[in-house]
Amino acid sequence: MPAGLEVRGLCKRFGGIVVADAMELDLAPGRIVGLIGPNGAGKTSFFNLVTGVVRPDGGRVSLDGRALTGLHIHQRARLGLSRTWQNLRLFPSLSVLDNLLIGARVYPGESLPALIAGPGRLRRAEAADRTQALDILERMGLAGVAHTDVASVPFGQQKLVGVARALMNEPRCLLLDEPMAGVEGHAYEAIQDVVRRLAARGIAVCVVEHNVAFIRDLCDEGVFMFAGKVLARGSVEDLIADPRLTELYFGT
Amino acid sequence: MLSPLILIQILWTSLATSSCFVLFALAFALVLKVNRIFNFAQAAVMTTAFYAAYTVVGLASGPGWAGLLAGVAGAVAMSAVLELFGFRALRRRQASSMFVFIFTLIVSELISYVAMLIYGTWPATIFPSLFWPVTLVGTIAVSQWDLMALGGTAVVLAATFAFLRWSRTGQSMTAVADNPDLAEFYGIARDRVFLAAMLLSGLIAGFSMFLYGTRAQVQPGSAIELLLFAVAATIIGGIGNLAGAVVAAFVLAIIQNGSVLFIPSEWQGFLLYAFLFLAIVLFPRGVRLPQRKRLVRRTPAPALGPAES
Amino acid sequence: MEYLYTLAILMALYVILAASFNFVIGYGGLISIAHPVFYAIGAYASALLARDAGWPIPLAIVAGALVALLASILVAVPSVRISGDYLLIASIGFQLGVLEAIKNIGWTGGAGGLTNIPALLAPGSNHAIYVALTIAVAIATVVLLRWISRGPYGRAMSAMRDDELAFAALGRNALAMKVAIFALGSGLAGLAGGLYAHYFRFLAPGQFDILQSAALLTMVVVGGLRSTWGPILGAIVLEALPQAITFLDLPPSLLGPLQGILFTGLVLIFMFARPQGLIPAGDIWRGRKAMATDARRA
Repeated sequence: MPAGLEVRGLCKRFGGIVVADAMELDLAPGRIVGLIGPNGAGKTSFFNLVTGVVRPDGGRVSLDGRALTGLHIHQRARLGLSRTWQNLRLFPSLSVLDNLLIGARVYPGESLPALIAGPGRLRRAEAADRTQALDILERMGLAGVAHTDVASVPFGQQKLVGVARALMNEPRCLLLDEPMAGVEGHAYEAIQDVVRRLAARGIAVCVVEHNVAFIRDLCDEGVFMFAGKVLARGSVEDLIADPRLTELYFGT
Repeated sequence: MLSPLILIQILWTSLATSSCFVLFALAFALVLKVNRIFNFAQAAVMTTAFYAAYTVVGLASGPGWAGLLAGVAGAVAMSAVLELFGFRALRRRQASSMFVFIFTLIVSELISYVAMLIYGTWPATIFPSLFWPVTLVGTIAVSQWDLMALGGTAVVLAATFAFLRWSRTGQSMTAVADNPDLAEFYGIARDRVFLAAMLLSGLIAGFSMFLYGTRAQVQPGSAIELLLFAVAATIIGGIGNLAGAVVAAFVLAIIQNGSVLFIPSEWQGFLLYAFLFLAIVLFPRGVRLPQRKRLVRRTPAPALGPAES
Repeated sequence: MEYLYTLAILMALYVILAASFNFVIGYGGLISIAHPVFYAIGAYASALLARDAGWPIPLAIVAGALVALLASILVAVPSVRISGDYLLIASIGFQLGVLEAIKNIGWTGGAGGLTNIPALLAPGSNHAIYVALTIAVAIATVVLLRWISRGPYGRAMSAMRDDELAFAALGRNALAMKVAIFALGSGLAGLAGGLYAHYFRFLAPGQFDILQSAALLTMVVVGGLRSTWGPILGAIVLEALPQAITFLDLPPSLLGPLQGILFTGLVLIFMFARPQGLIPAGDIWRGRKAMATDARRA
């Protein structure tokens, strides 16, 4: 049984723009893959297609051998596919801790009938989630702001919250969309640290990032995307050194 | 068995009757497209138009043209008040679309109560009689009202579409409807365009309400019922599509009037909502607010050899 | 005295309606105007089951609420898939269509109304019992909805309103939640309908028209969207104030329009002078409250 994320022949066009052109990509468990390429290469679209935000024109996606094609966004998440967003998309009216609680693999308070039928059982499940969430926050150095409105914590910490929230469902595959943009200092280290530990636990990680130094430090390998295709795959150093890729990246 | 003559007669009468409804729908669809408001206060505009014309002609025995003038002026004034003191203030405050929607509902109710207080609840007509001179064309009875209504509607439709297409203000309306922010960026003053759309809509609604009131009895609450037809036609025709709303209103009005041949008359009203419901279930994609157009950007294909690894 | 009882019952019923409508449009963020139609469906279903099918009245009332709940699911399932204004449009169509059907079907009494609905109270009994019953149901409704919107479900509703896409990408089923919220709100409206039918014993389609929608929307929005007390206050104030002038002893031809003008005028004044509602919603899902809960836990 193939493990990790497997993408075969993924296609998507928006009018005249091709964002995925028979795209093929495997993300193996425990590996950190950096996705690089110029703006408009289709990196974020790839995340959107894999997570079900955008419906592909064709192709297959599977996670740990289970086909994801045709499933809703929330069904994919429940199978262990987790992501962060370029623009964070936190829930501004909730506290940091509550933001995390929403992300549990099974959210007991989601079903109205279950809520009315068995409030006690829900309370116990919720307590377990709370412990897990506080644990994640502790590890990421966010314990101090757990009960603060997420909208009022500094941007760097919000970035961390975005990652922390994506960890709540104990993902099998984690897609990070520009986790470093606008981040410096402590958060920079913290995110690297968290991602490495995830990979060590056998989670497949894919990072879209413009910060090449970050990709080089963190990723086991790099994938160069252009116009909806994987053009090259290899060590990040080799990709950066390739003059043709550099020209595509900075040219046009 | 129906004789073809009766069929033609019914078709003709339905055609003439549909004219008012086509304009009600046009006025509603215009504001929905440009201002993006489900403007139920159009009922208030229509009520104002009717009672202004009724006051001049029915109560003060003025001439018909003065009634038409009063009706249209009343409608345009009411539209201006709505935009300047209602929608504009709500827009400044960035009120939610639901808040604006409630505002329009409440205004139309308020005006109908005011009309009730002043004119009572009895049905009224603009002219004392609803009967119009009839000429026989072949064997088809053609009333003067039919000709006036169809002619007037044709003129208003043509003028409106010409205005939207060729006048500067009309073009600005289309631009704002497509993308208000971008239009502002190009120097089109949004507030003025919104006001223009409301005035134009008021003009159309006032004229059509005058036509309607010369042919049928009107009560303070009638306009809301009439407007619901326009809402249904606009939804079926595709939101943001004026021509679609006009065609839908036209077809629906003809079917509704013509259906008297096939189904019991008390079910005529239900037919409209049956269509509305079918449209909602069958063409859900056809009925949504116009989306902002995406910026189109093409990426040239790379001239790169096989990927290395 | 009877008049005051009637007023109290109406207020209690409107509290149920406003609170459940607030749950749908405020907490659920689902824009619909069809709440009075579910009130009507509950009322008609309960009245017909009791009158024509001979069901015991309490059972008929509960069944009426369930019928309203099921009908609301039928409306919601196709509509909430498509976001935004679509449910509003579907709800307008549904409201008009159902009322038009009631007007034309023989066994609903048609436009003239449904009469001879059996009363829940035995003749000659004290009407205060019914007042107590409706107030009890109103309180239970408010407490239930407040409890739901403050627990984990409320947290999820808050997140869903904030960002539906991010919510779904965390594994939460937003569609199912919206349908459930709509169904519970509409079911409660149906319950109010049954309670109405077996006290006033007369139903007509005009009692549930688009003006009723406007009145309910107003109670919720003027009262204060997403606050517990706002819609309650809105329901009571907007139901009571127009009644107050009935004591002025005006001729009916003036009284009706004046009440209407008073109601709509008040609403317009509130909308412009106090857009946040009579009682603005405190954001329950803010950190401070959560901190307090956790402090207690620790």
